[in-house]
Amino acid sequence: MIDEDIDQLTNSYLSFKLSDEFFAVHVSKVLNILELVPITKVPKSSDVLKGVINLRGSVLGVIDIRMKFNEIISENTKETCILVLEVLIDNEMVEVGAIVDSVEEVIEVKENEIQPPLSVGTKYKSEFITGLLKSKDKFIMILDMDKIFAFDHASMLLDDMPET
Amino acid sequence: MDNFQKKFIEEATDLINDLEQALLSLEKQPKDTEIVASVFRIMHSLKGGGGMFGFDEISNFTHNLETIYDEIRNGNLLVTEELLSITFSSVDHLRNLLDPEALKNEQISKNHNILLSKVEGILKKHDKKIIETQIPETEKEESVQTFYIYFGPNESIMDNGTNPLYLLDELNTIGNCNVYTRTQKIPLLSKFNFSKCYTSWEVFLVTKEPVASIQDVFIFVEDESELEISNIANFDILSESEILDKIEDLFDEKSHFDLSILSPFINNYEKEKKNKIDTVTEKLSTFTKENVISSIRVSSDKIDELMNLVSELVTSQASLSLFVEENKVQELNQLAENIENITRQLRDTAFNISLIPIETMLTRFHRLIRDLSTEFGKNIDFITEGAETELDKTLIQGLTDPLMHIIRNSVDHGIESEKERVKLGKTLKGMIYLKAYYSGANVVIKIQDDGKGIDLAKVRQKAISKELIQHDSKLTERELLDIIFLPGFSTAENVTDVSGRGVGMDVVKRKIEEIRGTVELDSKTNVGTTITIKLPLTLSIIDGLLVMIGNTKYVMPLNLVNKIYAVNHQDFKKAYNNIIIIDGEQIPFYYLRDEFEIDTEPLEVEQMVIVKYEDKKIGLAVDDVIGEYQAVLKPLGKLYKNHEIISGATILGDGTIALVLDTNKIIHEFSFKN
Repeated sequence: MIDEDIDQLTNSYLSFKLSDEFFAVHVSKVLNILELVPITKVPKSSDVLKGVINLRGSVLGVIDIRMKFNEIISENTKETCILVLEVLIDNEMVEVGAIVDSVEEVIEVKENEIQPPLSVGTKYKSEFITGLLKSKDKFIMILDMDKIFAFDHASMLLDDMPET
Repeated sequence: MDNFQKKFIEEATDLINDLEQALLSLEKQPKDTEIVASVFRIMHSLKGGGGMFGFDEISNFTHNLETIYDEIRNGNLLVTEELLSITFSSVDHLRNLLDPEALKNEQISKNHNILLSKVEGILKKHDKKIIETQIPETEKEESVQTFYIYFGPNESIMDNGTNPLYLLDELNTIGNCNVYTRTQKIPLLSKFNFSKCYTSWEVFLVTKEPVASIQDVFIFVEDESELEISNIANFDILSESEILDKIEDLFDEKSHFDLSILSPFINNYEKEKKNKIDTVTEKLSTFTKENVISSIRVSSDKIDELMNLVSELVTSQASLSLFVEENKVQELNQLAENIENITRQLRDTAFNISLIPIETMLTRFHRLIRDLSTEFGKNIDFITEGAETELDKTLIQGLTDPLMHIIRNSVDHGIESEKERVKLGKTLKGMIYLKAYYSGANVVIKIQDDGKGIDLAKVRQKAISKELIQHDSKLTERELLDIIFLPGFSTAENVTDVSGRGVGMDVVKRKIEEIRGTVELDSKTNVGTTITIKLPLTLSIIDGLLVMIGNTKYVMPLNLVNKIYAVNHQDFKKAYNNIIIIDGEQIPFYYLRDEFEIDTEPLEVEQMVIVKYEDKKIGLAVDDVIGEYQAVLKPLGKLYKNHEIISGATILGDGTIALVLDTNKIIHEFSFKN
């Protein structure tokens, strides 16, 4: 009974949109979803680091992962929101905020429905993508948030290979 | 490592610290039996705890030491200097042993064996003496106590196979027993049920064991019986025929002894024999004294969490007050004021909890001075005052190293050798005096020595040779003393083991500034040197100046702010080489708007905040000054870990965030850049 629960949990992903592409992150990583609030920019920091917000009395750093994945940054809309994620930075669990264009849905998938990431032909560095999901005719890339945040904040995650 | 072991390590660390402190006092009064007893007691607890939680090395190591101090306690051995220095080294070694892997380290393992053999050496020497003198060792009577135990099992106690008589047998193994059986409840044979227990017992037990081991006997029947255990005397009443007679008298048809008659009788009896048992009562009084100090151990994580919650409450309360003020709701006014009051009290109490007395670090210094004076052949008294003064725990952590260094300097360079002191007509013994006291929202720590003071001529020479000052520059005494804090300056002629560790007073100053403190130095030739350290009470709340740059609010630490001037935007633009003249003074400044790359339209009149930076005045130009603000500091978090110019953030009453500027780091960074 308990095993079943865990199985279900391990197979739940939250999908979201960056520009017009779909990504997903394991639900165990997501603590909260906030609407976009004014963000206090910290001077002399890279553009990817959006700044800090007040999350129930503590200070939460917010990162714009759109900048890591897309060259073009979409305008903020009503649907733009902040995912509060728990990621491992320097061997320590840290709460961080990530701006996404919109949150889609929680999808439940069986382990065998996840396909390995394509090693060629994608514009993203494959090391940040743990797998591919196909849901209702669209492809969803599952992201490894720990790796993304361990990566130098300023750099883009686009692969050097030109888009074909 | 499991939780219990962690707990033990925490406890053992305290015990080892206590031990060190006790040893230091023992060194001063080697004949004080009470101190010896406490040394023994601590070792005993260490040994017991170590064995229980699997730290066998600690347990074994302490065992022999404990035996030695037991012998001293019993008057069979004397405290010698040799023994003390071995014990001190052992204390250091015990600290190492707290790491279960310690003995895998070759150095530690070697040390372990050397110390063990030294301790054994002392014991062997002593054993021989004992055999020679044949001192008969009788059991000490002091620890014997008499307990009264009433054991009244429920009728059904035998249902689950318990035999009450076995319990009584077990009691008998703990000590000497007199058992009285109460049979009044046994019914007539016709009503008698063989599977039920109708009897109750009363026992007078004389034992050296603590009350806990008696409770252990009954541990499985506690719920099924009436049980009363009380200490009625601290001596063996069973060997006093007068008391036994009285007990026989009292044993009547009642269901149990009336302790309210028996106890006073025993007490009187005891008083009469007081001379004989003086030592016992003394022990009892120290025992109760220990029990009076009531404190609990709380992990610092929990305190940090509490502090976070309190800060959150303070912020929420601020927004409540703001709301009430804006909306003028009469009914809410009173309520908001009440909450403000309670919040303030709660905040003060919570901050108080995270304060610890500076006493906790003093033991280390006592030890340091002791070790150093032996090493340098100097004779030094370390006197402390205000050890109860409390500081935030993080401050204490940050303060220990700089203080250690200052004290090292005093011992090494300050205090003269005995010979020199005699020549100068000073007392043979040197003195280092540490005084801590509150001064407003600050804590001041003064370290004073009566040594030779700082030779200003030497300082001058050295400063010239190190090209810190011009060869012909005229400096006041004050300015000369300040040179000592400059990087790359150290007056020690020979690099000694103590001071020559590559750090000078500049590091001391920097470390203290890191915890937002200031340090000052005074010195008089042949009278001594005084170092005064001033610290804020806590690190988590700062008095700040709230300013605006662009759309963001910032907080600057108020203690660094000197003056504020209004300056026309045009004047900033016209300024050449970032220097502006205010009140006839040339002041270098940084235009933070540009530095922070903010591109909104600047105001016509802007504000220049003059801050102190290493005795210089530097201007920081901001858009607007909002006012003073008490900021609860919050960390910016991991994402900004390398972002030094912002030391944290604070949440304002309206829920928005203001960033706390580290002005020293800003000026440092920008001056390097230019």
